[in-house]
Amino acid sequence: MQQPTISNEPSTAIEKIVAFLDARVGLKEIQAKMLNEPIPGGSRWAYVFGSILLFIFGMQALTGILLMFYYVPTADHAYASTQYIIHDVDYGWFLLGYHFWGSSAMVVCVIAHMSQVFLWGAYKPPRELLWLVGLALFGIVIGFGFTGYLLPWDQRAYWATTVGVEMVDKVPLLGDFLARFLKGGPTPGQMTLSRFFVIHVMILPAALMALAGLHLFLFRVAAPAGPFQGTSEEIKAKTDYFFPRQIWKDMVGMAAVFVTICGLAFWEPVVLLEEATPDPGEYHPEPEWYFLFYFQLLRLKVFAGEFGQFMGAVALPVLFMVLLVALPFFDKDPERNIFKRPVALISWIFIMAIIAIFTVSSVINREFLD
Amino acid sequence: MANERDPMSPTKIGLGVLWPTCWTGLPIKLAFAVLAFALGWMELEGRLGLAFLMLLGSPVTIFAVPLIAVTLEGHFGEGIGLPLLFLLSIPIDIWAFGIVGKTYFLERFRKEPPDGLGFRLWWKSAVAGAFFLPVLWYVVSLVTETAVSTSHSLSQMESLRQLFHTGLPIAERIGLEVTIWGTVSFMVLILLLTIGISWIGRIIRDMASVAQPLSDNYQALITRWDLMRVPSDQGLFMTAVAGVGVVLCVLFWVALPITTPHPHECCQKEEAKAEPPFKPIEVLTRTEQEMAQIEALVLAVEQSQEPGKDATENGKGKGAEKVESRKPEGSPAVTKQ
Repeated sequence: MQQPTISNEPSTAIEKIVAFLDARVGLKEIQAKMLNEPIPGGSRWAYVFGSILLFIFGMQALTGILLMFYYVPTADHAYASTQYIIHDVDYGWFLLGYHFWGSSAMVVCVIAHMSQVFLWGAYKPPRELLWLVGLALFGIVIGFGFTGYLLPWDQRAYWATTVGVEMVDKVPLLGDFLARFLKGGPTPGQMTLSRFFVIHVMILPAALMALAGLHLFLFRVAAPAGPFQGTSEEIKAKTDYFFPRQIWKDMVGMAAVFVTICGLAFWEPVVLLEEATPDPGEYHPEPEWYFLFYFQLLRLKVFAGEFGQFMGAVALPVLFMVLLVALPFFDKDPERNIFKRPVALISWIFIMAIIAIFTVSSVINREFLD
Repeated sequence: MANERDPMSPTKIGLGVLWPTCWTGLPIKLAFAVLAFALGWMELEGRLGLAFLMLLGSPVTIFAVPLIAVTLEGHFGEGIGLPLLFLLSIPIDIWAFGIVGKTYFLERFRKEPPDGLGFRLWWKSAVAGAFFLPVLWYVVSLVTETAVSTSHSLSQMESLRQLFHTGLPIAERIGLEVTIWGTVSFMVLILLLTIGISWIGRIIRDMASVAQPLSDNYQALITRWDLMRVPSDQGLFMTAVAGVGVVLCVLFWVALPITTPHPHECCQKEEAKAEPPFKPIEVLTRTEQEMAQIEALVLAVEQSQEPGKDATENGKGKGAEKVESRKPEGSPAVTKQ
């Protein structure tokens, strides 16, 4: 008697294309590796930050490309072309608003993600490299904010960049070279704009893509860090794979962030000040809101004078970054529960309190300046 | 047999249910909030963070917010979008409470979730919020006001003036004041929030105390709450979600203004005045009338200039009258030549 045979041959066009690609690049193996990652303790909302950051970056790239169709990176036309985007291009105001608030969302999510890793002790061995690459990504995100701020070429952009470059100038040895390289002249002008534009749209995106890829690779090698609640039996019972539960949570998280940024673009759309001039007039230079705390900190008397300025503008942030870089190497304690690491908990609360207090102080300080 | 775990504190229970409930419903509510923005149905009074918190906490703020707005003159925003959003959040919050509550009962209490758990948790939390949140609002506002004035007085103290020759510098003074009143307000807020969450936790614990204990092992419980979150017809669910998403996107796109609703003063556009519609028959008739008038005028001028005809005084006077009466407005005074 003849046995019925089940054919594995692809029948539809899509199946044939998939089979063609699979035979050449191992598509199914890649798919299995990407989606079948076990998550001990099950999927969690707390794990969505990495995916959300990738999503925000993708949207920033998309809106940035659309804005570049109209933006002219010259000192003569940057301001006018930005105004053109806001006032004449269909939905241009919304695209610019989304791009503007997307950058803030990226900074907020990076800080939330870093806080999470710090509080959960996820920087500890064997995840030191993951932490270091994450710090480099944090630097790139801040770089995006700094370079993108100049591009509209209004008073706010011009003076925030002037103050920022002056701070770079105070770095010993390299400061003078870096400041001259960024400015490209005695005062911010066409060369500054060109250099900031190239850094913003070419160098930083390339660096971010490379490092984000490395970050993901290291994450897959090291596996999720937890924290996993419950006994080992309970954790095993709840374990599932990246697909579909975690992907679903990631998608909901991305949708929530997307609508939040859309809401912000509506609630507070981008409105430019006057065109950039070397005369600030009555305008008081101020950086983007996430740098306000630092700006206010530098107004303290202790950071006045040549030495004080060096301490505030250079020594303090460099020391902070060195501490973060060295953290996984001097914190050898395997304990990861934050309530059993009082120094880490108090340090985090202290830093967050400083950020909150000085941001509010900076807003109040405006009244005295006005 | 899965035994009930060690008794948990009411604060832990309250936080364990309220926190995921708020986040479960928030993405859906946010989509409607953005749509209300786009349609111009909602204006927030510069307190986006507060509105966000209200929306996040709508399981407990639903009755409290109107009470605060009426009795304590708390102003959150304007527009029909705000009450609509709160009404819309009721079924969303009941659903979110249901799904989170059932999970919590199975996994943490290891008890059979009672029927209608979502609705019962929602109305009890909403009523508790209606009593507690106005008190919290009033106390925190009062404490903050007092702390601000006290910190201001402290920073003006004579001893501080002497410490710094010209008084405390502005940046330091502001920082000191914010630290003092911010710490006091934050501590009071956290204390009151803990009491409120603990109250909700007690309500949940009371409900759990009368629920039936479960005899399933842990794996079976996990499988049960896990399956509870998976829709029975996944294809239908995905289609419904995608359909709602597409409708919301289209509505948003239609409502989105093409040009900025906040134009810069440099780029204010003049209001375009519509030109009157061109009616060829009317224009032709009017032109013909004008031509006839001009023709008559020219004729009259020619007649008045013919020799012999204007010699008589009477004739001259009549001719002049006629020309004057026919002269179109703005035409040169030919009769005076």
